[in-house]
Amino acid sequence: MRCGVILPGAGMAPLHLRHRGGAAGAGAFGWMPVKNPGLRAVGLKTRAAVKEGGKVGASFYDLLGISEGGSLEEIKRAYKKMARKYHPDVSPPDLASEYTRRFIELQEAYETLSDPGRRAMYDRDLARGLQFALSSRRRFDQELEEKAAWKNRWQDQLETLKMRSKQRDSMENLSWGARMRQAKG
Amino acid sequence: MAFSSFSYPCNLMVVGASDPRKQSLFASSLFGGASDLLCFHQQHRLLKGRKRSCISASLSERGEYHSQRPPTPLLDTINYPIHMKNLSIKELKQLSDELRSDVIFHVSKTGGHLGSSLGVVELTVALHYVFNAPQDKMLWDVGHQSYPHKILTGRRDKMHTMRQTNGLSGFTKRSESEYDSFGTGHSSTSISAALGMAVGRDLKGRKNSVIAVIGDGAMTAGQAYEAMNNAGYLDSDMIVILNDNKQVSLPTANLDGPIPPVGALSSALSRLQSSRPLRELREVAKGVTKQIGGPMHEIAAKVDEYARGMISGSGSTLFEELGLYYIGPVDGHNMDDLVTILREVKSTKTTGPVLIHVVTEKGRGYPYAERAADKYHGVTKFDPATGKQYKGSAPTQSYTNYFAEALIAEAEADKDIIAIHAAMGGGTGLNYFLRRFPERCFDVGIAEQHAVTFAAGLACEGLKPFCAIYSSFLQRAYDQVIHDVDLQKLPVRFAMDRAGLVGADGPTHSGSFDVTYMACLPNMVVMAPSDEAELFHMVATAAAINDRPSCFRYPRGNGIGAPLPPGNKGVPLEIGKGRVLIEGERVALLGYGTAVQSCFAAASLIESHGLRITVADARFCKPLDQALIRGLAKSHEVLITVEEGSIGGFGSHVAQFMALDGLLDGTTKWRPIVLPDRYIDHGAPVDQMVEAGLTPAHIAATVFNILGQTREALEIMS
Repeated sequence: MRCGVILPGAGMAPLHLRHRGGAAGAGAFGWMPVKNPGLRAVGLKTRAAVKEGGKVGASFYDLLGISEGGSLEEIKRAYKKMARKYHPDVSPPDLASEYTRRFIELQEAYETLSDPGRRAMYDRDLARGLQFALSSRRRFDQELEEKAAWKNRWQDQLETLKMRSKQRDSMENLSWGARMRQAKG
Repeated sequence: MAFSSFSYPCNLMVVGASDPRKQSLFASSLFGGASDLLCFHQQHRLLKGRKRSCISASLSERGEYHSQRPPTPLLDTINYPIHMKNLSIKELKQLSDELRSDVIFHVSKTGGHLGSSLGVVELTVALHYVFNAPQDKMLWDVGHQSYPHKILTGRRDKMHTMRQTNGLSGFTKRSESEYDSFGTGHSSTSISAALGMAVGRDLKGRKNSVIAVIGDGAMTAGQAYEAMNNAGYLDSDMIVILNDNKQVSLPTANLDGPIPPVGALSSALSRLQSSRPLRELREVAKGVTKQIGGPMHEIAAKVDEYARGMISGSGSTLFEELGLYYIGPVDGHNMDDLVTILREVKSTKTTGPVLIHVVTEKGRGYPYAERAADKYHGVTKFDPATGKQYKGSAPTQSYTNYFAEALIAEAEADKDIIAIHAAMGGGTGLNYFLRRFPERCFDVGIAEQHAVTFAAGLACEGLKPFCAIYSSFLQRAYDQVIHDVDLQKLPVRFAMDRAGLVGADGPTHSGSFDVTYMACLPNMVVMAPSDEAELFHMVATAAAINDRPSCFRYPRGNGIGAPLPPGNKGVPLEIGKGRVLIEGERVALLGYGTAVQSCFAAASLIESHGLRITVADARFCKPLDQALIRGLAKSHEVLITVEEGSIGGFGSHVAQFMALDGLLDGTTKWRPIVLPDRYIDHGAPVDQMVEAGLTPAHIAATVFNILGQTREALEIMS
């Protein structure tokens, strides 16, 4: 569930409050939320890539300027530093839109990398070469849905197996295995 | 709201809680088991605050895994699968986590195959829980993922001897334990053997289950299809578990990243995994069958089958066409699902052959393995907390690396040179070649037979194919070598790595027979380098031989430090010419391949006793350097041929020639030194050489024995 964009005001409200347990929801934070920034960020990113022809290569780690093995502290620090620079409130007016875009990307990067589960998935995608991994939340949900679909499918298959097995040796099944089973009784 | 509940996994256990039952209750009460769907192991970092009751090893702050072995209370109570029978599903999950950490810590001390074992932990636990080994037969294809199986079947206390002399084998081995139903090492044999066991069971009137676990990589080999085809025809009850982790090539990457599926099959498997059934349509179909009701049983079954066929898409029909009943895909890390399915299949009478498609993740549960491109397929000793492997520092590189460099140098000069391997890009060094010449390197999957004939086809078109296949794996393609290459005299070059004894992998991987089976072929040029510089020259020689097939063999291990030719470009040798390295008297040691190095060492041992003997390097087994042999035979009392191969190889060819040439009619003696007529078990290379009787000391002792100086012989051997 998204808690909206959690952005610090100029005073840098504690970032760590935003993430776990969404009770501290959007209201606690001062800035104007962008709806579904994650999804938008993907669109923006790809659009940006098309425009700039080549930004797609940047991973979340590159965006934050840290190494791939960075710890949570490093990620937080990097994010704070970048946020301070790119926050629309403090950006020069003529660069506002670009800075906003970058800020949203940073935000998504931070959200993904600070959640160990999503970070794991992102790292896996990265290892597989999907440089601009899909918005991790969407992938998450996609995976869950897929797994649920699998479960339905194999439950059906098991039912069918049981049904078939009743008829298996009664039909004119002259296979070697059937003959052996009949002989065994 | 955003509990991020999915990220609270069953992994509350992995933290080595001191009271597993309490924690498991906590987890299940909060999340009602739904959290089982996905386990994210990094979550332990966030949970650090909660696990105050944990007395165990602390997680290192910076690393992502335990630095010391966490306690394994549940695993400690399991010595054999029968001890698992009373566990609940939650306890099975805890057992899986403990088993996982056990595997990681054991492999960190001994080295071995890690990623594959981690991927099948849940599957192993589920299998042993539902089935009753050893009456129920479990076959692990290739066997390198059997570490959890070994731990659960009474060998946990021996895990520290894994792959060492007199220790556990790295693969399943019948003589090691009754729980290992079949010996493995090469791939794709499990379904065939399982079918044999199932049919045998039927003939003997027994009632046990037979299960074969085979990976998606091993599924690319033809034998798996031959077996499935036969299984479908015979219709005997058996279970095939397809362990699909989307890693079709080994190590599961090239130098720059993971390898995408190598063949059409893997794409089909991916489609299977991802095709989304149109659930609404299926529900409708189910509703229709329900309405039809009891007496219309058969028609209902047909309708459901058609609905399934319509919706489940491509792929499953491949197995169905072969006659196996397809179930899946199944999440291979979900204990509930696995146990449910296995139970259901076991309890169903007369299933015929069933294929359960299980999707797992190689290296699962160890963050460094999950992120690595090769998923830590095969590792040396490493530090569990950081995942860093301890790479020994050697002054020289491996023969494999030298071969790759030599081939690249040849290919730079000649654009017709092509490299082919069978899913062994890392093991043969051809990943380097792939990076340099992506259009000229072919990975055919685990299909040696196809690789050889494919190379033959390339040779027909005027290209220069180099097949880099391990000596023992080339055994699989022997008829193709004879019939498709040698008989037609096509210039295919065979680079046989891992010739001779191979150390920890054991007899399944040792290249003991390649001299024998290659040198008896009429048109084949057979040669072996005595050091890495010679290897470069022989690669060049092979590249130059364009009118007939050729092969060369080189061992596992590092070079001796010989100076390399400039630019890595070798110079073609004169075919059928060996060389004398040390001029001496009375005894001549004629070595073939790297055994020449042992001959040098033996010669220096003998020299300390006052006798200077001759050491020669034959270079070619076919065609033999007849002049060299005549010369040595005429000027010495004894000629000893030394090779790291079985009977019927180099020594036999020399003896044949000498006999025909009349060289044995005088006073000259000939003695062979070959591998003994038995399989040499896995262990350290040094120990294996001692066991085989091929050390310099053995050679020197043999010399003295023949000369009648038995005292010196005894001195050397003690």
